[in-house]
Amino acid sequence: MIELRNVSKMYGQSTIALRNLNLEIRDQEFFVIYGPAGAGKSTTLRLIAGISQPTKGDILRDGVSILKVAPENRNMAMAFENYALYSHMSVYENLAFPLKASKYSKQEIEEQVQRVARILQISDLLDRRPGFLSGGQRQRVSLGRAIVRPSSLYLLDEPIGHLDAKLRHRMRAELKAMAVDMNATVALVTTASREALALGDRIAILRDGILEQVGTPEEIYSLPQNEFVASFVGEPPMSFLDVEPVQGDGRAALHIHGSDVHLPISPRVAQNLNGGKTGYRLGVRPNELSITSQHDEQHHTPGSVDVIEPLGYCNIISVRVGDGTIRVVVDPTTRPEVKETVWLSMDGENIHLFHNEKAVVHPVGNKKITLNNNH
Amino acid sequence: MAKITIDNFVKNYGDVKAVKGVSFEIGDGEFVALLGPSGCGKSSTMRSISGLEEITSGTISFDGKSVNDVRPRDRNVAMAFETYALYPTLNVYENIAFPLRSAKWPNEKVDEKVLDIAHRMELEPILNNMPAELSGGQAQRAGLARALVRAPSVFLLDEPISHLDTRQRYRMRQFIKHIHMEMGYTMIYVTHDQEEAMALADRIVVMHEGIIRQVGTPDEVYNDPEDDFVAGFVGEPPMNFIEGSIAKVDGKWVFQAKGQTVVLPEHWQSYGQKMPAQVKLGIRPFYIDVTLDPQQPYDLQGEVFLSENLQDNCTVSLDIDDLRLAVVTTPAFRPARHEKIYLKFNPAYIRFFDLQTGKAIRPQ
Repeated sequence: MIELRNVSKMYGQSTIALRNLNLEIRDQEFFVIYGPAGAGKSTTLRLIAGISQPTKGDILRDGVSILKVAPENRNMAMAFENYALYSHMSVYENLAFPLKASKYSKQEIEEQVQRVARILQISDLLDRRPGFLSGGQRQRVSLGRAIVRPSSLYLLDEPIGHLDAKLRHRMRAELKAMAVDMNATVALVTTASREALALGDRIAILRDGILEQVGTPEEIYSLPQNEFVASFVGEPPMSFLDVEPVQGDGRAALHIHGSDVHLPISPRVAQNLNGGKTGYRLGVRPNELSITSQHDEQHHTPGSVDVIEPLGYCNIISVRVGDGTIRVVVDPTTRPEVKETVWLSMDGENIHLFHNEKAVVHPVGNKKITLNNNH
Repeated sequence: MAKITIDNFVKNYGDVKAVKGVSFEIGDGEFVALLGPSGCGKSSTMRSISGLEEITSGTISFDGKSVNDVRPRDRNVAMAFETYALYPTLNVYENIAFPLRSAKWPNEKVDEKVLDIAHRMELEPILNNMPAELSGGQAQRAGLARALVRAPSVFLLDEPISHLDTRQRYRMRQFIKHIHMEMGYTMIYVTHDQEEAMALADRIVVMHEGIIRQVGTPDEVYNDPEDDFVAGFVGEPPMNFIEGSIAKVDGKWVFQAKGQTVVLPEHWQSYGQKMPAQVKLGIRPFYIDVTLDPQQPYDLQGEVFLSENLQDNCTVSLDIDDLRLAVVTTPAFRPARHEKIYLKFNPAYIRFFDLQTGKAIRPQ
């Protein structure tokens, strides 16, 4: 197990890349580090690899500090974001390099290089020099060099980010299957929500050098601790509306800003609203809503169609509700007119509720789930 | 606003043939996306429309008049790029006003115009801010406002949002669509991202290696692709392709691949005779039903490679011999690795392509 304890990293006097980060990466776990640009994701990997030293804090393996262990003695394999291939060597030699360094026999090298090349679909490129490869091909060679030899920890910095859609899907599955088959421990950095959800046994979400949440994909998706995590995980992203808790006719409700919509709320929701009147926002996922053209029992929140985005397998409809916009994923045959009034299946129960960006309520079904590792 | 006609347009860079003679039309007020992978010629086409590049041959016309010899600044074209270089020493107001002041507009007209566009683009609260004080999204909106303030005949956007994160991209997409709806500009949008093209454009021009593969509405390009390139490039996860042959077995036309047999759907039966012997079957990951129960009727059987739970759906990768397919299912269905799995195609969504030419085969 790798532990980061109170790790901070400064670049120069004023740039703080990581602030007091606490993380653990468990054995045989696929651990994803996810966040926007500048979050400190790559810095975290480089600190674990030992390429860079923390300004404060400690990094431990199985309870023992490894800060004084040189990178080459940490038995970790890393695929860098900028590939860092040996330009004077062929693809074959690049892939063989870590094996040669570990004194593998010629036959073992041949077997392992061919195996990895097959998985990454670069078998026909083995004689080429990196300079004659496309960005996507170079990225796969870099990934191959990282995974060609067994390692206690694989550190992968956006290893499939530059592949086209087809290869990215394929390689995502290959990477996960390989990790499962080898019982490997992997720490992978990504900026793609779908990649994080598909690959991670657990996901750490970083922003501006701060850990926002760590948990299983289910937890991150269903029980986001704050608005940032809620908005950053899932695609299309969650929609938010400013609301104000009100009492009307003896019943608690949420008033949606800029509209006359009041969503009645149950005692379960009401008891979590202890922060006065302001600073509340509700959040709903676009694929957990539906719309109708007529008011009915389920669909009682009116809105006005703003934008329709046809994606082939679905349409994304943006609906103006009060001052805000709610996105809804509908099937491709549902095509309301722009400015048409539609009714949303939004109620006071199946929503996330945030107060000053912190989550205070989750939809009623979103309970903490215990995972049986279902690969 | 203008109608744009591209006629037999060729663009070479030395020996490199970037665009190999393309023709298409963009209607007045239409939103057209030029879509394709890098090197397909989409940016060369856009830059030639703007006048930033000289064309090798052919004609580009605005409202029926050739602009081949018209200087870029006289074409009244606005351009927006991914990076918006705002003047750092001018506040947002003056940045937006800049093109008008250069054109010697009187002060009160400048003021009226800037306030109008600032209102439409929700920039009023930050008009007095300096560029350094803006968030990425605000800077991008200010840059767009500056590009739009002169009411261009044509508005060109070159990958304007490709480096934003998911949340910002969705917001900007909505915003760009708004600009189009409210201002009615003729808009040309260059992107390699099929989802952006689908979401935004009235019509999509799909380009590949300097030629046009298809021009059509998002619906046409997605559901009725001209060839296997368009079919594979548009849609994510990408369309599955299975190479095989067409034969008649027991009086029924069938598709055979990997030692398995799929009976052609009813509406293809009368067309079986006219199909080429060697074809590629195409079907999107959304239109395959999968089950672990061999008693259910099925078209093909395979073995689960991996299930990926994306929370709102589950993507199952599966193997039929050496062929990898993807199926999108509900998150509750998560078969384990190496389980036998049975596939049933939704017949309405099966597509066939000629194995030799890649062209779509359509039953008449």
